[in-house]
Amino acid sequence: MASYPQNFRFGEFVGSLIWLIFWVLIIVALVGLPLIFIVLFYVPLPPVGDQVLTPYLFLTSILYPQSAIPVIKTLMGTDLFRVAMFPGFTYAALIAAVTIFIERKFLAKMQLRVGPLYAGKIEGILQLIADGLKLISKEIIVPSGADKLMFWAAPIAFVSTAAAVVALIPAAPGYVVADVDVGLLAVFAILGFFPLIALLFSWASNSKYPFIGGLRALHQMIAFEIPFILSALSVVILSGTLNLTGIVDSQLQSYWFIFFLPISAFVFYISSLAELERIPFDLPEAESEIVAGWLTETSGMIYGLLQLGSYVKTYALAALFVILFLGGWAGPMVFPAEIHTPIVNISPIYDQEAANGSLWFTLKTFGVIMLMLLPRGISPRIRMDILLHTGWYKLIVLAFINIFVALALIYGGILGPGGLLVR
Amino acid sequence: MTSLEDKFEESKKLGLQIAKESEDDRLMTLSVGPQHPGSGHFRFIIKVDGDYIVYCDPDPGYVHRGEEKMCEYRNVIQNIPHLERPVIHDSNNITYSYSLAVEELVGIEVPRRAQYIRALASELNRQVYTLYWLAIYGIFLGHSTMFMWPTGDRELLIDLLEVLTGARVTHAYNIPGGVRNDMPDGFKERCLRQVRYLQKRFKEYEDIFYNMPLFRQRTEGVAVLSKEDAIKLGVTGSVVRASGIPYDIRKAEPYDIYNEIDFKVQYMKTGDCFARSYVPFLDMKESCHIIEQLLDKMPQSGEVRAKLQPNPKGPPGEAYRRVESGRGALGYYVVSDGTPKPYRVKISVGSFRNMLALPYLLVGQKMGDMPATYWSLNYWPVEADR
Amino acid sequence: MSANKDEPKKPDTSLLPTPAAKPPATATKATTGTQPAKKEQEAPPFEKGLVEEIKKKFGESIKVVFIKPLRTKIMVEPKDIVAIATFLRDNMGFDHAESVAGTDYPKDGQIEVIYHLGSYTREDLAAHVLALTTRTNRDDALLPTLINVYKSVEYHERETFEMLGVYFEGHPRNDRFLLPEDWADIPPLRKDFRIKGR
Repeated sequence: MASYPQNFRFGEFVGSLIWLIFWVLIIVALVGLPLIFIVLFYVPLPPVGDQVLTPYLFLTSILYPQSAIPVIKTLMGTDLFRVAMFPGFTYAALIAAVTIFIERKFLAKMQLRVGPLYAGKIEGILQLIADGLKLISKEIIVPSGADKLMFWAAPIAFVSTAAAVVALIPAAPGYVVADVDVGLLAVFAILGFFPLIALLFSWASNSKYPFIGGLRALHQMIAFEIPFILSALSVVILSGTLNLTGIVDSQLQSYWFIFFLPISAFVFYISSLAELERIPFDLPEAESEIVAGWLTETSGMIYGLLQLGSYVKTYALAALFVILFLGGWAGPMVFPAEIHTPIVNISPIYDQEAANGSLWFTLKTFGVIMLMLLPRGISPRIRMDILLHTGWYKLIVLAFINIFVALALIYGGILGPGGLLVR
Repeated sequence: MTSLEDKFEESKKLGLQIAKESEDDRLMTLSVGPQHPGSGHFRFIIKVDGDYIVYCDPDPGYVHRGEEKMCEYRNVIQNIPHLERPVIHDSNNITYSYSLAVEELVGIEVPRRAQYIRALASELNRQVYTLYWLAIYGIFLGHSTMFMWPTGDRELLIDLLEVLTGARVTHAYNIPGGVRNDMPDGFKERCLRQVRYLQKRFKEYEDIFYNMPLFRQRTEGVAVLSKEDAIKLGVTGSVVRASGIPYDIRKAEPYDIYNEIDFKVQYMKTGDCFARSYVPFLDMKESCHIIEQLLDKMPQSGEVRAKLQPNPKGPPGEAYRRVESGRGALGYYVVSDGTPKPYRVKISVGSFRNMLALPYLLVGQKMGDMPATYWSLNYWPVEADR
Repeated sequence: MSANKDEPKKPDTSLLPTPAAKPPATATKATTGTQPAKKEQEAPPFEKGLVEEIKKKFGESIKVVFIKPLRTKIMVEPKDIVAIATFLRDNMGFDHAESVAGTDYPKDGQIEVIYHLGSYTREDLAAHVLALTTRTNRDDALLPTLINVYKSVEYHERETFEMLGVYFEGHPRNDRFLLPEDWADIPPLRKDFRIKGR
């Protein structure tokens, strides 16, 4: 019986709305507009080509969009764009969002359901926004006796660790946030943080089921880390570099490594499923055994952040699979060399290579993501001892097979510098 | 041959500390339920030593409604709608044996057509229940497709039963003296169509669930209930049939027209989780044949309800009648003192009897086998609480 | 099938009510016709043989309440019940208990506890249910447990304890089972417990 107050008056309700609008207008007029003017007049803006970007030039782009193109070109050259937009977080988060939607529809079709249907007119495409709004509006419950600092920090750490993996992934030629020489090693180093976060969060929850889930996550990730790295090692042997862009380049010069190393690709795929805690390896979140595993005490946006983090991680591992085995952005050229657009001429910022590369990269990544979603529809959950046995015995042996194959290919003169199959 | 007491000894050999009474620092006590996705309206307290369960204590009663006490305040006909509440998914079977017992006490002759319709409704309802049970078994093992498929196919049967009885799940269809109303026109064709469809789907269930290597790995050889233990514990239904005892009330003590139906009692000999999960499925397949025979042999017309007095009452006496429900033998012990209201009604349900096997099977198991073992006992918490 | 049976409410001073031999007048009424070989008046031979076998061993301590097709009810003294149950399990093949029901008879001042015994091992007994009954005083209801004979009565006896207040001596857990944890009333299946508003 807590729907509305007993002394409800419609007039007061409307009055309160008007007051709200009034205050918003006051704040915008007194604070927001001056702030915009201060930024435009006093903050030095970067030079665009040969012109200095003045507030006047900036404001003319509203009426004359062509003048904004040089500004965008400059921005696209900055690090901020790479971190925040294209190969960085926004791109990854968008792919994660599309992944969630695709997962729900795809799974629904497998299970003879319709999936999300109502939010948004067409096939429930706005379902994700509805879910996000719901999660934001929910109360975040911190269990009594929880380690508050750890409890709040873990979701943020989870998302930022996932984003840190994304930072190392090149999505198109030249489009990478951190082009480091030990890229692959750095990816595995950062991935090693996830079990730690899971364990710390589960311990901070001060509850039994999360703790069991955290321990399971730790066991599982350690058991699969070794085949994971070993399967990538054979790729490193073939390409001779740890730099992810270099790995793609060496595949551009010969053929995709999945043709030489199918077993490694398989091991990598299985290990990444385990790393992602997806069915059949979702033991840390097995709901019929340990409620929701290490996510049991999460609520509201904490849960939302952890889900976002895990889907960003899904993208990162799928992208890594594409880079290691499927030739990264390699693919036939589909974009024209020159582009002519009617109203605004965007040819200054048009890059044929980058557009083509990112298209093929995105398509391949979605293909791999679909493969990762598939087991959820057809497989039951595995048991802990079978899982550990799989990780420690079978996958490591399988990964070693392809390491020897890779060594034979290098020493046989088939691949590597001056090899037979190198174009 | 392992006896029940040996189970504790076996677990000790694994290096486990078997907890019976005393607490120990090594052990973690977990309350599985009632707010747990893997329990239902039921709780069992387990103690784990690492990943091994060393103690289990079932604690039912969260949905206890006092059905037996309520029966003493209503006359035999009024009792029907509330007696089916414990298992609304199997409501035709739980009222079936009550009707049989009351008929024995009051002395009512049930028309032949009514007996067939009753058996038909009971078989359809067994399928509805088993499909739902199977769906939950699927989701307990993390197989979400196996949750959705039987739940979807169950809708068809529910629609079918709605046509027959007028309600989707709580039918109140069996009454002392027959059934409430006759079959509608064209029911036979519709029923046969749905049964054919189900038989087609059962093959797909086997492909995606029972023949799945991961499912086999998780269930084969897990939580074995030997034949001797099954007898000793007095478990019933699919649990006892999975342990190699072909005991089915429909065959052992044929009620109504079941002695005219040709069917086989489905049983397996391994007694593990796989057998316990597969026997109800086999039952469901056999039930399809039973339905076909029932529709075939049914008298085309006739009374479906015996004439009853407004307040039917018989001489003082008592009756104990059983039927084979989705969860095993379902018996009613009804004592009458000559008044229209029963003096005492005792419902002996399969779930309550199968619950006894839970502690014996869980002790010594890994925690990952807990849902597979628990739900393989064909246990419906609400029914056990009554 | 309204056959010969005992009048349960008959006031009786002895602990065991006498088995009624007379068929009630209503027995002529039509029956369900479900039992294949059913006789109205005389007891069926197979069931009679069963009872004879028990009687041969225990003699007069067994009171046969009724013998109907597939159903037999015998009543024994509480002190004999363990021995008789052991005999039934070991020699007769009744290997499990299907249910344990308690019935309150305030007029007699007694509570009747009835064990429905079935058999999985003997083919010819598959359809048969033997009701082993005993009675105890209502005021200090105390019975020896059958848990050492039939493991399967464990939860049933526990339920009978909390629903009717019959203490089973030797049962490891005579405590709450189905009722709420804070139940503080008389056992609810006793006749003097009334549902509110009824």
